[in-house]
Amino acid sequence: MSTVNLTINGQEIVAQEGQTILDVALENDIHVPRLCYDPRVSPSGSCRLCVVEIEGERGLHTSCTRLATEGMKLATESQTISASRKMTLEFLLSEHDARCTSCDADGDCALQDYSYEYGADLGQFGSLVPEDRELVYTGGHRGIVYDPSKCVRCQLCVKICSEVAMVDALTLKGRALDVRVSTAFDLPLNETTCELCGLCISACPTNALWETKAQGKGRAKDLEKVRTTCTYCGVGCQLDLNVNPRTNRIVRVTSEPGSVVNDGNLCVKGRFASRRTGSSERRPGKRP
Amino acid sequence: MAETTLGGAEALESFRREAQDAEMAFRARVLLCMTGCRSMGSMELAETFRTKLDAAGLSDEVEIVDAGCHGQCVLAPHVVVEPHGFLYGGVRPEDVDEIIETSLRQGKPVERLCQSVDGEPVSTVDEAPFYKGQQRLVLANCGKIDPTRIEDAIATGGYEALAKALAEMEPESVVSEVKDAGLRGRGGAGFPTGLKWELARRSSGEEKFLICNADEGDPGAFMDRALLEGVPHQVIEGMIIAAYAMGASKGFVYVRAEYPIAVEHVAIALKQARKRGLLGENILGSGFDFDIELRMGAGAFVCGEETALIASLEGDRGMPTARPPYPVESGYQGKPTSINNVETFANVPAIVLNGKDWYRGFGTEGSPGTKIFALAGRVNNTGLVEAPMGATLREMIYDVGGGIPNNRPFKAAQLGGPSGGCLPMKYLDLPIDYDSLKEAGAIMGSGGLIVMDESTCMVNIARYFLEFTQDESCGKCPPCRVGTRHMLDILDRISNGEGKMEDLEELERLAEHIQDASLCGLGQSAPNPVLTTLRYFRDEYIEHIQLGHCRASVCEGLVSAPCSHACPAQVNVPQYVGMVATGQLNAAVDVIRRRNPFVSVCGRVCDHPCQTRCRRADLDDPVAIRALKRYAADNATGLSQTVGPPASGTSEVAIVGSGPAGLSAAYFLALMGRRTVVFEKQPVAGGMLALGIPEYRLPKEALQRDIDFILRHGVELRTDATVESVEELKEKGYRAVFLATGAQEGRAMGIEGEELEGVEESLEYLRARGLGKEPKTGEQVVVIGGGNAAIDAARSAIRLGAAKVQILYRRTREEMPAYDEEIEEALNEGCELHELLAPNRVVGEDGKVTGIEMTRMELGEPDDSGRRRPVPIEGSEFVVECDMILPAIGQRASIEAASGLEITSWKTVKFDPVTLATSDIGVFSGGDVNNGGSTVIEAIADGQRAAVAIDRHLGGAGLLPPDVSMSIYRASDEELENATVQTPEPLLPVEERLDGFREVAFAFHPEGACAEASRCLRCDLEKVRS
Repeated sequence: MSTVNLTINGQEIVAQEGQTILDVALENDIHVPRLCYDPRVSPSGSCRLCVVEIEGERGLHTSCTRLATEGMKLATESQTISASRKMTLEFLLSEHDARCTSCDADGDCALQDYSYEYGADLGQFGSLVPEDRELVYTGGHRGIVYDPSKCVRCQLCVKICSEVAMVDALTLKGRALDVRVSTAFDLPLNETTCELCGLCISACPTNALWETKAQGKGRAKDLEKVRTTCTYCGVGCQLDLNVNPRTNRIVRVTSEPGSVVNDGNLCVKGRFASRRTGSSERRPGKRP
Repeated sequence: MAETTLGGAEALESFRREAQDAEMAFRARVLLCMTGCRSMGSMELAETFRTKLDAAGLSDEVEIVDAGCHGQCVLAPHVVVEPHGFLYGGVRPEDVDEIIETSLRQGKPVERLCQSVDGEPVSTVDEAPFYKGQQRLVLANCGKIDPTRIEDAIATGGYEALAKALAEMEPESVVSEVKDAGLRGRGGAGFPTGLKWELARRSSGEEKFLICNADEGDPGAFMDRALLEGVPHQVIEGMIIAAYAMGASKGFVYVRAEYPIAVEHVAIALKQARKRGLLGENILGSGFDFDIELRMGAGAFVCGEETALIASLEGDRGMPTARPPYPVESGYQGKPTSINNVETFANVPAIVLNGKDWYRGFGTEGSPGTKIFALAGRVNNTGLVEAPMGATLREMIYDVGGGIPNNRPFKAAQLGGPSGGCLPMKYLDLPIDYDSLKEAGAIMGSGGLIVMDESTCMVNIARYFLEFTQDESCGKCPPCRVGTRHMLDILDRISNGEGKMEDLEELERLAEHIQDASLCGLGQSAPNPVLTTLRYFRDEYIEHIQLGHCRASVCEGLVSAPCSHACPAQVNVPQYVGMVATGQLNAAVDVIRRRNPFVSVCGRVCDHPCQTRCRRADLDDPVAIRALKRYAADNATGLSQTVGPPASGTSEVAIVGSGPAGLSAAYFLALMGRRTVVFEKQPVAGGMLALGIPEYRLPKEALQRDIDFILRHGVELRTDATVESVEELKEKGYRAVFLATGAQEGRAMGIEGEELEGVEESLEYLRARGLGKEPKTGEQVVVIGGGNAAIDAARSAIRLGAAKVQILYRRTREEMPAYDEEIEEALNEGCELHELLAPNRVVGEDGKVTGIEMTRMELGEPDDSGRRRPVPIEGSEFVVECDMILPAIGQRASIEAASGLEITSWKTVKFDPVTLATSDIGVFSGGDVNNGGSTVIEAIADGQRAAVAIDRHLGGAGLLPPDVSMSIYRASDEELENATVQTPEPLLPVEERLDGFREVAFAFHPEGACAEASRCLRCDLEKVRS
């Protein structure tokens, strides 16, 4: 495969042809904020945070959709870029139910991190969060809960469901501020093609998608991850048990993309069937 | 005709001849618009024509053509009778008999069905200004052929260009022909079409696609619809040629499902073309294969964006993706794809057939050809207009469009739909093409052209367009999804009168970010209407924010009825009009006087902004509000009744000047319980009302009635009392001063010979007459100027014995600031008006005037106000003989007493627009001294505002008397519908006027007044009821 030479922030870099600017930057440990990027799915360019300035071109360009080309010179940070990211984040915050103090994802939320990094002001614009909770496709679902007031409309859940799980259970509906993740014809999740793999939760950069049973059991920043191997079948998927040290209970199960065998993918059992470890019907023995 | 495949150019040619012969069998044709005009009953009309022609035995001689849109939508249902080309509008089935008899048998026009222009019926298409001003290349056959018959299309030259391209041209030469012709994308962005095809052609890949973007979604734009409905074969032919040029094997027409007729006609046309071998394999025997599939879009505006359109075509949610890669590299299914607009394709056949040089003969260097515009909004001839690129807005709106209804002045034009911008007056003469529009802040867009007059609020229009784009945002990226909503919230606040000045900068900050950071063109261009209105109409935003005033009387949060909102003094107009209708004249006068003490005066000389905004004008004529006020003032029995008890105590406020501003301030302060002293330099009170306006317009008694009424509220008036300075009053112990000294001095012409005897400034002349002197008047009088003072001087001079009065004005009558009715009466009374003349020098002998040398002017480039600037014609000087010259070219604010206050560079007092406070604490100013000359009602409003501010300054609450609503009278819907025309006030015959200064206009008779008042729609009640 041929290579291309480009300069990022003054640093000369050799990249593979066909790589996006963002891929090249991340590979070279250059920090670029992004909410709608996940290496497992195709880029969408929707969050507008990974914007960069390219020498000789007007305006800002999303690094996740733009291919690195020979001789390209670009900057991932500048005053213009920061100002743009800050306002984009402020837009997102204005439609976000930003009560981080009572949010399960506190400490593991990309929106929170970037807002801090760019000094995005929560009160810059009037709140557009609807006052009433609305009925969504996960209404009453026992496994997954979707909260549109936490959703940044990055489409990662939709894409991962389609491109990785190849299940196509999710889609977007509505226009403008009413855009929501939903299922075809707004069917309840159980009546769709959903296989309950929970990949959508793993892709969500905020707390919009979460395990129903994990709600209120511990904030992300309080949890300790314990790496283990799933015992349900012989595949040997790598799991991270997220344990709340205070209660010494498993709150949720996650898996790192890149982990051997399963690359972060789990099935319904691996993701959700963890409560048995705490079952009273289990044979007494040493606590893990 | 046999249903056979056309194997080549020859077969096509013979098919054409056959089709033309079939046409020739008819001696006449009736063209009916069966697309857009369907909504106005053209189907029923066609049916009637067919039945009646049958009955008349003419169906073999006369063909009824179910044609497409002919463009002049205002005439719907639109009918053209060929071969004469008679043009009829608003035709009903009951008119058919007459058309058959008169037009089809006798070959004469039915004049009553013709559109009338300047009072004359226009009987044929060739004579109609609407068509004369156009250049119909693309629309040449639209409205003339039956779109559902391929025979019609081929008979008029259809597929000839295709045959030529396939037989005589290589694909590359088609590309270069179109490229060299300079055709640019008619969808709005103006990308060179030939270049796009070339890029797609060069892109690697076996399979390539061609898409016709017919997802027309701009509000008010419908040219694509008209083309697909009216000449679908022309579009299809353009597509086949394009496919041949770029190497596509498959094409799509992506059309909105909301265009059912377009969908139907394209489907029929595709089927016909396929059957004739014009689509499919081996087209016209050339070996070239191409077919087109028709797809319907669900109506999302964003699907007009090419990447979103492709997503939609592929079966996904119509959301845009980032470019690059561009569709020419990776489009439909990742294959090279060219997307072009309907109108672009419709241009192609003519270019291929006639060549690039022919095409470049139209339009401008950078944008050759024509563009179809959808004229909408406040314009007489709404419809589709095709004009060469480089035509001006003025040509489009005034020549083709027939001007603005009710001759209201033009305010702005919105070009390019919600992504475009609003252009003000000064761009009326801008040659329109892609580049000039972009520079001015608008875009060509699809060609929507919405005309706005002064009844359009620019804040509201920006809000409207932003609401549209915000609603149509696909929601993919935050700047467009969220940012436009924040902008909209700010605009909502401003139009509700809750805005802050910082909001304007915030809007610009948001707009800039949204433009830069949005993913696709929808978001990037969404702020344009806001930005252009902020750029060109910032004053209107500021008025909404600072004064809570919407000058167009549109914004619902601020306006209950447009008339009272338009009144600077906020008189409750519908209320007193309702009272006049029910005969409660005392109550009516009382309502007026709660905001304006000068009832008798304003009933006569007000410039009635209320009437200008009256919504009834949208139906027929505005209600004659001023005349109703006059009627109430002249006939009320309780005129001496005060509105409140007289003020008592010591006078804390001094008012300088007893004109409308000064006396109004005194009056309202009295109602707030404060006694005032009004100082008047002249021996009589009233200011310009007494000494500027001649008695034939405002009799002394009428004025005196209002002044007496004001004085009855405890106002002390001191005439012959000159105030040297504000300081002097403060030293005397007055705690507040209102400076209302007016603008008493006329401006000098600044030319040679002005000092000669016989040159008298018109205000001086009028003042002498007002003071009861008989000013010396010449035999041959020349008045210089075009304002009300000029007309007043001229009409006074003719009453004071001048044998000849000539008004000389440097622009034309249209631009004269004087009220039109005054100019009209001046002419009726024998004054002469000579336009486009500017004074050069005064000619005299023995120190006396013998004439004035004038230079002829012509109208040149427009200035910022859009009025065309008069430019002197060199060597055109000539002398107008006269023995008296009355210059009336403007006023100067009388700022002598304002020493110590800050003065503007215009030599007027500097003041706060909300409180009228000057730079000195406790000193306020209002009326003409603030602006060097405005209207009576504005002066009264200033007095009112000053009273509120002064009362607050002195510790009061500044409350005006309550403006209670008591009349809920509204004529029944039936009565409102039946009363249609405004009743004018009766006038004194001219022969009885000139021997004195008798009042020219009479008040209404009771029946007339009641009938006129009952025409009021009572817009104010809409809010009360809901």
